[in-house]
Amino acid sequence: MRRLLESIEGIGAIAAFFGDVVRTALTRPRYVAETVRIMWILVGRCIIPVGLAVAPVGAVISLQGLEIFRMFGLERMLSSLLGTAIFREYSPALASVMVAAQAGSSIAARIGTMRVRGQIDALAVMSVDPMRFVVVPGVIACAIVTPLLNVLTNILGVASGWVFAVPLGGVDHGAFVEHLTAQITPADLWVGLGKCVLFGTSVGLLAGHLGMRVKGGAEAVGKAANDTVTQTIVLILLVDYVVSMALLGLGL
Amino acid sequence: MKVAAEFLLFAERALVAQLTRFPPMDVLVRQTYQAGVGSIALLTMLIVFAGLNLSVQSYATFERFGGQDFLGMFAGIGGVRELYPVMAAVVCGARIGADLAAALANMKISEQVEALEVMSVDPMRRLVAPRLWAVSLALPLLCGYADVIGIGASYVGAVYQLGLDGGTFMSQLREYVGLSDLLVGVFKGLVFGWIVALIACFHGYRAAKKDGAEGVGVATNRAIVHGAVVCIVLNLAMSWVLYG
Repeated sequence: MRRLLESIEGIGAIAAFFGDVVRTALTRPRYVAETVRIMWILVGRCIIPVGLAVAPVGAVISLQGLEIFRMFGLERMLSSLLGTAIFREYSPALASVMVAAQAGSSIAARIGTMRVRGQIDALAVMSVDPMRFVVVPGVIACAIVTPLLNVLTNILGVASGWVFAVPLGGVDHGAFVEHLTAQITPADLWVGLGKCVLFGTSVGLLAGHLGMRVKGGAEAVGKAANDTVTQTIVLILLVDYVVSMALLGLGL
Repeated sequence: MKVAAEFLLFAERALVAQLTRFPPMDVLVRQTYQAGVGSIALLTMLIVFAGLNLSVQSYATFERFGGQDFLGMFAGIGGVRELYPVMAAVVCGARIGADLAAALANMKISEQVEALEVMSVDPMRRLVAPRLWAVSLALPLLCGYADVIGIGASYVGAVYQLGLDGGTFMSQLREYVGLSDLLVGVFKGLVFGWIVALIACFHGYRAAKKDGAEGVGVATNRAIVHGAVVCIVLNLAMSWVLYG
């Protein structure tokens, strides 16, 4: 019972935090230079892990999909499964999970360290709103960087799928390309990018929230960084499922 | 390059320490309990959503060719062979690996490891080997558990949400997913568990006193990210060898 109340309280605190972030992001002044600086750091830190994590997934889908499609003699159709799975589902979800692991935890650790060292309070004393200067740029940077990385991982995923389907799996190259271009609609791409914006925002929000709540010493900072990773992954999967149901209902 | 060489040396020392002496039972049980039981709530929540989502997504994909009836086969093969073991490894690995790396890095920066060496206790045997055993025991069990929960969730998704026929789903599952697939999932869990624990111990062990508290943070972050990437890449390699 106590744990239930605590988790409800936690959800309420995140909702209030979200409201704060939105209100701060919509009003002036904005720290654009700080946001761009964080974006660059995030891109540099995330691009390799995200690429390495998504590329093998395309290959695995080709490997297992080929076996399934072979039962019906439909190897030619493989690329339409690969394309929809990568563009709509696995590339956005996995890219966001890796952004959470790499960027989310470092943002939470950074804010938590600033909190522990009293730098957040120092900012407030200098009448710089810490929400505005520290949290909002992180959230916006995550929301922009995740879809950008997703474009890259879409390409990587399809390319590694191609390697396992065409040279290694013996699917005809022309058929692969034809089914890929015929079955993938712009809607698939937009669904994936939209999900990434949603996931990226939640990574930034949770990281900011958990980082700002840090009290105590170095251990609390480490805990905030770890909690960011596990909690965002749960949140990403939950949101992913809700979005899939909604899209199925809308017939997209 | 230098880090890779260091890692190989560390892996060799750890493997020797792991194989030369089985850790004391009480230490092993405590570590396994921490790694395994601590992850169950998180894993259950994740896999339930992943299983439901696998049904919904593959329904949306297969509807385009009118192949909804093969959902059971697809959810079974895709889930049991690939998705659930990898998810269990990435997510539980993130939690377990972060804990291990943080614990070891903390011992390292407070010079407890050096203290052990001074007492001529081999830290590899005392600290690293039991953790390797514990995680290599816990993660296969978690993978098997994830397979069962995941199939249940995708059955619920297919039958109660999408209105497919439950009997068709089950017969598809029985026909195309065998015990061997389940065993492959558990075997993957064993490999993932060992490598995740090794990477976490390595990063924890590399923290030096001069890094201070920040070193702990860096070690946990690297343990999570490197563990996840290595598991995904290894999964491809194993699937390729086993099914390719």
